[in-house]
Amino acid sequence: MALIIPVIFIFVFVFSAIKRVNIYDSFTEGIKEAFNFTVSLLPCLAAIFMMCELFELSHLSDLLVKAFSPVCSFLGIPEELTKLVLIKPFSGSASLAYLNEIISTYGADSYIARCACVCFGSSETVFYISAVYFAGLKVKKLACPIICVLIATLISTIVACLVCRVM
Amino acid sequence: MNIIFTAVFIASMIALLICAPQDLLPALMNGTENSVKMAVTLFTVYAVWMGLSKLCERSGISKGVAKALSPIARKLFKTDNYIATENLAMNLSCNLLGLGGAATPFAVKAIGELEKEKNSYAQKLLFVINATSIQILPTTVIALRAGAGSAAAADIFLPSLICTAVSTLVAVFLFIAGNKLWH
Repeated sequence: MALIIPVIFIFVFVFSAIKRVNIYDSFTEGIKEAFNFTVSLLPCLAAIFMMCELFELSHLSDLLVKAFSPVCSFLGIPEELTKLVLIKPFSGSASLAYLNEIISTYGADSYIARCACVCFGSSETVFYISAVYFAGLKVKKLACPIICVLIATLISTIVACLVCRVM
Repeated sequence: MNIIFTAVFIASMIALLICAPQDLLPALMNGTENSVKMAVTLFTVYAVWMGLSKLCERSGISKGVAKALSPIARKLFKTDNYIATENLAMNLSCNLLGLGGAATPFAVKAIGELEKEKNSYAQKLLFVINATSIQILPTTVIALRAGAGSAAAADIFLPSLICTAVSTLVAVFLFIAGNKLWH
């Protein structure tokens, strides 16, 4: 698996060289696009990160976790994962930090940590993605796709907790 | 996004006003600082992959990939737009390889292309696929577990594959079904 990325790189470089593409110029041009793209993301990122910081600091997230724990345990999701499940749609870095905490508290091979890893690996930062993808576009009625994604994420979280019990 | 942002902001600020009013400004600036750090991390990923993708574009590799995938694109995304298909293909391949960060710029390009033909169905479908994560190998998580001294760091591979397949299939199904019901 680790070989795939080097193989892709070598293939693309060699193939481009055969096709007589100016590799240096093309590569630099791609990086320039990457730079412009990153800069265009920054306002969006800044606003979202401010929101996450406030949310965490004002203890609203703790309140929300407390409110949702019973619901989660009813669905078969361990209480310890409530916070991770709630934060993941908003912030990748915050949930990654929290995942780290879970792993070091419960041990990498515990049921809780394995569950947390599977949930983390099989879900995405839904709200962040919607903000980045549709920034500056006029697409309306995003509520429907976002709800579809959130329902699917919840189902896969429940499945994750079941699967980790047997595997 | 606007509603969520406003609601969370106002609620958090009121809560902070009561418990720790002096923390508001540092928190906002801390958030901005984190966003810049994040942007630097993202740039490192994007620079590598968009550089490589430019090479693919110039040498005709992405053209070939897009051609191979165009029947699927036409059926699933209902688009004939050639540049959009190319970016769709790159986005999906990056996702499958577990390079979620590298997939983003291609998705944004594809969505911009689809905007020209006012194909909001394809835009939303692409979002649904990306937002449910379709990676085959959860590289970040495996690395984390290995770092924490796990005996078998990769044993979450199969459960992750099942869950990511479940979430994507359910979301796409809900989205297409909802779309059909709507019209």
